[in-house]
Amino acid sequence: MEPIIATHDLRKVYRVGKVAVEALRGVNCIVHEGEFVAVVGPSGCGKSTLLHVLGGLTAPTSGQVLVDGNDFSKMTDGDRTRFRRHKIGFVFQRFNLLPTLTARNNIAIAQHIQGNGFNPHRFQAVVEMLGIQGKLDHRPYALSGGEQQRVAIARAVICDPKLLLADEPTGNLDSENSQTVLNMIRGLNKNFGQTVLMITHNPEAAAVADRIIHMRDGCIISD
Amino acid sequence: MVNKLIVSNILYRPIRTAVSALAVAIEVAMVMLFVGLAHGLLNESAHRVEGVGADILVQPPGSSFLFALSQAPMPLKIGDRLKEIPHVLAVAPVFFNFISTSLTVIYGIDMSSFDDVTGGFTYYPGSRPLRDPYDLLVDNLYAKANHVKIGDTLTLLNHQFHVSGIVEHGKGARLFIPLQTAQDLMQEPDKASLFFIKCTEPGYADAVTDAIRQLLHGYQVRPVNEYLSLMTSNNLPGLNAFITVVIIIAVGIGFLVIFLSMYTTVTERTREIGILKSLGASKRYIIAVILREAGLLSAVGIIVGYGIAAVTRKVLIAYFPTLFIELTIQWAVYAAILALAGSMVGAFYPAMRAARLDPVDALAYE
Repeated sequence: MEPIIATHDLRKVYRVGKVAVEALRGVNCIVHEGEFVAVVGPSGCGKSTLLHVLGGLTAPTSGQVLVDGNDFSKMTDGDRTRFRRHKIGFVFQRFNLLPTLTARNNIAIAQHIQGNGFNPHRFQAVVEMLGIQGKLDHRPYALSGGEQQRVAIARAVICDPKLLLADEPTGNLDSENSQTVLNMIRGLNKNFGQTVLMITHNPEAAAVADRIIHMRDGCIISD
Repeated sequence: MVNKLIVSNILYRPIRTAVSALAVAIEVAMVMLFVGLAHGLLNESAHRVEGVGADILVQPPGSSFLFALSQAPMPLKIGDRLKEIPHVLAVAPVFFNFISTSLTVIYGIDMSSFDDVTGGFTYYPGSRPLRDPYDLLVDNLYAKANHVKIGDTLTLLNHQFHVSGIVEHGKGARLFIPLQTAQDLMQEPDKASLFFIKCTEPGYADAVTDAIRQLLHGYQVRPVNEYLSLMTSNNLPGLNAFITVVIIIAVGIGFLVIFLSMYTTVTERTREIGILKSLGASKRYIIAVILREAGLLSAVGIIVGYGIAAVTRKVLIAYFPTLFIELTIQWAVYAAILALAGSMVGAFYPAMRAARLDPVDALAYE
């Protein structure tokens, strides 16, 4: 079976002023469809950069990144954006909901951007699965952290992405809400075969995943 | 969905929305009011000349169709020769006195001949025609604007005039004094600045015009219709330039405020733009969101601007009855197009900036 993620000698160098910062130093990894992978490591080890590259938010400096068979290193920014629109969902530590929209519209805007129009059946199934039916008309400021993150997960999966990338999804939550959110991500993976790559520095959160990748200094040190 | 996002963004920042819309509103109102005032005063002036009821205007050689600029006198006796031309019913000589401080033209008239051409003034109660040398007739709008009553004394051209009557407006000037007084004040006895000529039938106007041109070589002889066609902004030196400058200033204000507003918006919403990008929003999508938001702000501003223009016009006319402001559909449309175009240009750079934001940087924006 084709892997959904395959990187080969992936490198990413940032420029901070005149200083070149090597965030990824030859990352090789393979993730198969339906896997739930946690990437753990200390701050600054490059795990967020890896997630940004795998999500097509930034281009690799060198090496190969294949996501669902598409080589990001050869794609333009526009091509990666188009790919991201259809194939990738993001969940962020800070929820990143649009503050002016209700929860309903925060979720629906992902469908609108995708361009396939509003799918009420999919919408209903997702909000029921995440237990946010009663919160749909609330704006983010009126929701708890856990509720905001569930709305963010709903937005990430509403378009049925091939790959769900979660960047410290429990980083801003208390332990109870963290567990709820992890259970939901786990549920998406188990029940719907959703491929998940989750970044965390929390070993308990990582333990929910099927597989744990350890990073340090821009490299994978164990898998 | 984009509409919901735009409307919610606009409502989320009411002060910014109000200031931006108000700037566009002022832009629209400025364009409509200044253009309306220029055209209104011009047309009203033309209508007043038309309201005299003459068919032909005769002025000395080299004189302007703008009476304020046209005080070159011609011999009064020319009027006798004009009366002899077939199909001429009446000839009314007028001597212009111009008050430069208030840009007012005073007609020096001979009551009898002026009445023959105009059919006579419509007098307000208590009025009487010009009789004494320093009698003065004022029209009702001048009287209202300057709080003038019958029997008042007004100082004009360094002389005291007695208001003998108030007449309905629309017969050439707003102020009328005896012809001889007007001549004496300018030390031009037996002279006239203009002759109003009424034909026995309006259909004879062209024939009489030709006859006068043959009789008075080099004189400015114009049928009233021709005179009215000259009273446009194109023929008034500097008026179009003035209107253009006003429009540029107004559009500049709208452009700058929308530019600043959308630039601030983009900076404020950097993170939100990053979120949209993470969801796969293209550059075109981001640009469309920003431009449509600017467009909506402009639309609100345009509607408010129409309201401001209408209310300002009413207030100005209430306080200054001699002002005429024509708010036309044509210029309402032009002002809307200018405001919208200015806003789009103003919003374009911020929109491009938003579209070019790096999604990783944008998501990390605090």
